[in-house]
Amino acid sequence: MRVEVATEQPEIDVPVGSWRRFLLTNEFGLIVLIVLFFLFFATFANGFTSRFSLMAIGRTMAVDILVGFSMMVVIVTGGLNLSVGAIAVCAVMFAGWVIEALGMPLPLAILAALGLGAALGWINGVLIVKSGIHSFIITLATMSIFFGVMVFLTRAEAFRDLPAVVSDFGKLQIGGYVSYLLIVTVLVALALSYLYRYTALGRRMLAAGASPAAAELSGIDVGRTFIICHVLSGVLATVAGLLLASRTGAAIPSMAGHLGRDWLLPAFLAPVLGGTLLAGGRVSVAGTFLGGTLATMLAAGLLLMRVGEFWVQAILGLLLLLAVFADKARRVYLAKRKMV
Amino acid sequence: MTARSLLRQDWMGLLAVVVVAIVAITLVKPAFLSSFNIQVLLATIALNALVAYSQAIIIAIGQMNLSIGAIGGLAAISFAGAMEVWGVPVPLAIVLGLAVGLGAGLFNGYLVATSGISAFIITLATLYLFTGITMGITKAQPFYGVPESVKAFGNAVLVGPVPLIAVPTILITAGMIWLMTRVRIGRHILAVGGNPHAAELGGVDVSFAVLWAHALSGLLAAMAGMVAVARLQIGQPTIGSDWLITSFAAPVIGGALLAGGHISVTGTLLGAVIIAIITQALVLFGIDPFAVQIVLGLLILAAVGIDRTRSWRAERTRTRIA
Repeated sequence: MRVEVATEQPEIDVPVGSWRRFLLTNEFGLIVLIVLFFLFFATFANGFTSRFSLMAIGRTMAVDILVGFSMMVVIVTGGLNLSVGAIAVCAVMFAGWVIEALGMPLPLAILAALGLGAALGWINGVLIVKSGIHSFIITLATMSIFFGVMVFLTRAEAFRDLPAVVSDFGKLQIGGYVSYLLIVTVLVALALSYLYRYTALGRRMLAAGASPAAAELSGIDVGRTFIICHVLSGVLATVAGLLLASRTGAAIPSMAGHLGRDWLLPAFLAPVLGGTLLAGGRVSVAGTFLGGTLATMLAAGLLLMRVGEFWVQAILGLLLLLAVFADKARRVYLAKRKMV
Repeated sequence: MTARSLLRQDWMGLLAVVVVAIVAITLVKPAFLSSFNIQVLLATIALNALVAYSQAIIIAIGQMNLSIGAIGGLAAISFAGAMEVWGVPVPLAIVLGLAVGLGAGLFNGYLVATSGISAFIITLATLYLFTGITMGITKAQPFYGVPESVKAFGNAVLVGPVPLIAVPTILITAGMIWLMTRVRIGRHILAVGGNPHAAELGGVDVSFAVLWAHALSGLLAAMAGMVAVARLQIGQPTIGSDWLITSFAAPVIGGALLAGGHISVTGTLLGAVIIAIITQALVLFGIDPFAVQIVLGLLILAAVGIDRTRSWRAERTRTRIA
């Protein structure tokens, strides 16, 4: 499901079997790794294939993949968004507040949260585009500001009296094995694939990310397109946050760690494993989905094998390193064989 | 020399801000200039300045290092752990801590220099790698058995309200100025940050400069980690976990160009001073300490905004796209 538009390298047309091409894609590599690790953990990690464990993995996967998507949609612009975690926490806490303080019904509260997520993403986008300053430093600042304002207003207190349907939704399952939360993630993945593949807006995002100058010359409003990418990032981060709140049954200020920092690893791990180009202009929705799946499964399996929680963090850090190096090696190989 | 006069200008503006802030706060709250308060302030500055230098040297080469706090934490627990668990004497433990920082920095630098992959993603990965190792070794428990001499160092004053832990920072500040202006590797780092291609053509070994910039960054982070141990009086594994924002805020306020090629050591120090003054003032005025986060974020935005307006004219003469 890789969509490629106007990358820097010229396309060299060498007839290559599409099968052989597929075998060299990131997606295929990820599928192989997922199957291998699944078999490994199923054999060696006690209880990995139990209903409880698969359900738990599915629930974690649903959130982590969405977190990955929220980063992926801005990596397309060649930038990044360090504030995804902070935005999500702000939006979820806002939903909790309108429910508990204003007595708003849940659907309206969800809309309010999505609206705030979009607004915060819009602030990021406008600051980045209007100032021309790199998104790293802008979102580093806004992550501190958003999170600070949220803690200041909420006094760091959680909203725990949410309607029962919130946590009930987090517990729903299909056939006893698959979490309902995963359905939301799959729907978002399908919508994103559609966006990049079939809509003019999606193509504009890819073109603007690949080469802003060329896109500008061909009549694309690059600034506006980038702002939309950041709004989308805010919305997706909010969806991830809402799913997480449904999993825990409460809106908690520390759900993404201090400043929302705990989300940064999953946010980058999934797209980078999935072969999204950090320079921008290319995304792989399927790759990000598979990347998030692999990372979550690995973490869950290692925890079951009683590798301490902190060592799992170290291993995921190593995995990110391996992923970028593997991607580089693959691209060098493809370039040598003139298969790119 | 225009560069020098510009540098001087940045510097003087910040100094003016510092003086005005101190006068204004003291007029409202005379307790701000109490001996105890000055001591706390200087101790905070001493630590934050080291953290800021560690990032500044990477900003100088046009990259970023997300793993500074993780390196600081790893060095801190190696330092404290070696003394408590193995009974290593203090000087040797310091050497060990520095070696850990140097090693971690070299690891970052080697990966960035040889792979050509962005420092952002490499140091994001090593951030989790190093933090994971720190937490895995300590199981998130602090080392309490820090020797009395280290604790005394963290508490003692040099003269008047100047704490002893300001001494390493003063020496490092002088060392940094010397490094960036007089030493070849320092100038090479700035040259690579300014324009890697031109630097390469001018005979600079770019990989070597990147490697050593990260190595120095690791060393400085390790020093900051050990200073933090002396200040906290325990080997806390969470040391460094909140350094990220400060490490960027101070150099950026100090006028460092994020694109690389220019940093001001004095400016960075003054940036750390401004951050410490604001933090302390918020505490004195009884404002929620979490407001510090908001202020730091706004300061970064303001600093890059000012920087942007300053270079606006120069920028407009070039063709501007997007």
